[in-house]
Amino acid sequence: MNYLDQPLKEIHEALVAKKVTPLELTEEALKRAKENKDNAFELIDEEGAKAFAKTLTEPEKDNPLWGIPYFAKDNFSTKGLETTASSNILVGYVPVYDATVIAKLKEKKAIMLGKTTLDELAMGGTGTTGHKGKTFNPYDPKHEHMIGGSSCGSAAAVASSIVPFALGSDTGDSVRKPASYAGLVGMKPTWGRISRYGLFPFAPSLDHVGYFTRDVYAASVVLDALAGRDPHDSTSSDKPVEKYEEDLAKPIKGMKIAVLKEIVDSITDKELRAHFDKSVEALRKEGAVVDFVSFDRQLLESCYATYIVISCAEATSNDANLDGIKFGPYRGGKTYQEVMYNARTAGFSELIKRRFVIGSYCLMRENQEELFLRAQRNRAKIVEKVNEILKDYDFIYVPAAPGPAPLFTKASDKLSDEYLIADNHLCLGNFAGLPSITLPLCYENGLPIGINFMGRAFEEKKLFQVASAYERLSGLAEASVLDPKEALL
Amino acid sequence: MKTITMDVLKDAANRLLFDMSDEQYKTLYEEFQILTKQMETIGKIEGLENYAPMTFPFDCSTTFLREDVEEKPLPREDALKNAGNKQDNQIKLPKVVL
Repeated sequence: MNYLDQPLKEIHEALVAKKVTPLELTEEALKRAKENKDNAFELIDEEGAKAFAKTLTEPEKDNPLWGIPYFAKDNFSTKGLETTASSNILVGYVPVYDATVIAKLKEKKAIMLGKTTLDELAMGGTGTTGHKGKTFNPYDPKHEHMIGGSSCGSAAAVASSIVPFALGSDTGDSVRKPASYAGLVGMKPTWGRISRYGLFPFAPSLDHVGYFTRDVYAASVVLDALAGRDPHDSTSSDKPVEKYEEDLAKPIKGMKIAVLKEIVDSITDKELRAHFDKSVEALRKEGAVVDFVSFDRQLLESCYATYIVISCAEATSNDANLDGIKFGPYRGGKTYQEVMYNARTAGFSELIKRRFVIGSYCLMRENQEELFLRAQRNRAKIVEKVNEILKDYDFIYVPAAPGPAPLFTKASDKLSDEYLIADNHLCLGNFAGLPSITLPLCYENGLPIGINFMGRAFEEKKLFQVASAYERLSGLAEASVLDPKEALL
Repeated sequence: MKTITMDVLKDAANRLLFDMSDEQYKTLYEEFQILTKQMETIGKIEGLENYAPMTFPFDCSTTFLREDVEEKPLPREDALKNAGNKQDNQIKLPKVVL
């Protein structure tokens, strides 16, 4: 077994003991990335990664990310490396600066190997709409099931043990849903906890930096590295950064957990329901108080539409800078409007255009009050309800998805509760900006399914504590395609 | 609310400075039939007039005076390197005033 198949903590110990070097790890990771058949990568920076790895000769005992290879989703600006957000409108675009998270990881001497695929401009949840085509789920060698999105390539890279962690972004569930489909830990901290400077915006009131790991310890130390105020991002918080791994071993006795009844009830997959119920019992045995709490069915059913209206409307405005003038392929025209028109008509895929039109429609003067502002008011009501529950409970606990990764060919009933509630509730964490973590629960026909814990704002340390206790119960820490483990729940 | 027609959808697209094929507009029109029903789920929520539109998850006002920091501006070559049409160290566009 190679060190890349080990937990991040053990890789770190091996690096410190000089049993393996950053260069050796990097070379193995690059080899795995090049052999991978899941269409997970936009760019592999072999030369840059090896050159940086060669400079790392003196291990840093107190820096768990020293010499650790990782990939970043291709919507983070990387100085000198093409960054396309998997869209033809940005082909050839080479940023002139690093996103803050990329700079921070460089400071920690983590080694970026390259960039991963995504649903175009991070707008999508299937991993099928990037300009390089579908990204596949490594748990399905037949390539019939999706991995989800939009952070599809990063999920595939971690699930395949190519790297121990990878950066993603999460506007509705773009880290936490693929984490469920790929048997991973998917973390989205509080809105403002991690700087978004250099992350291509989709819907800034909902956008978060997130990431994938294979265990909770790795998730906690990655947040140690990424969290903190950034003068370049005025929405980043100046709340002190904690040592997020400190409480991982602490018991969860007395912690209060709310299971949202309507979400669980809308799940039709009996096997998943049985595993979930078993996990509730296991948490109770650990001393946690777990109650089934009613949210409000109508309010939950309205989450998906609220998300679509707000995110599409914000996106139309944010992506107005994609004009083919300052960057991206220039396609000519007789007027500057025609230059933009030509660049955008050729550069955006059909799905993106449809989303933009939805946003534009919601923002039309005649529709603004009834659609856009009403959705924003509804968001306020939803968030009020979430926070009301979290006054009495430490966490909200639910299945992350209604089942394993769907087939590419599956057509959902988009008006059913299963779709509107069970498949799309993770946006609650984006509406309220709360920390939210997905962890693996079980497998169905070899395909993973996850659960999700959501905590109070800036209580990431406590969230990792419950996640770590849960991980011990599930027995699925460090599971990957190359090293599968059996679920205990 | 504006009735959804093919012309309304084309207008919405053109306002954003792009176009789609007739087939794509047709798909979008069909998508709107479902989307409208999904949007009705927001219409059913009562008492929303009592809520202010939410633009951020929570207050995060930052008021501070930062220290002046001396920085070098972006070199001209970097500022221009991603532009597809350039002339005399400037980004070139068709004339605005003819």
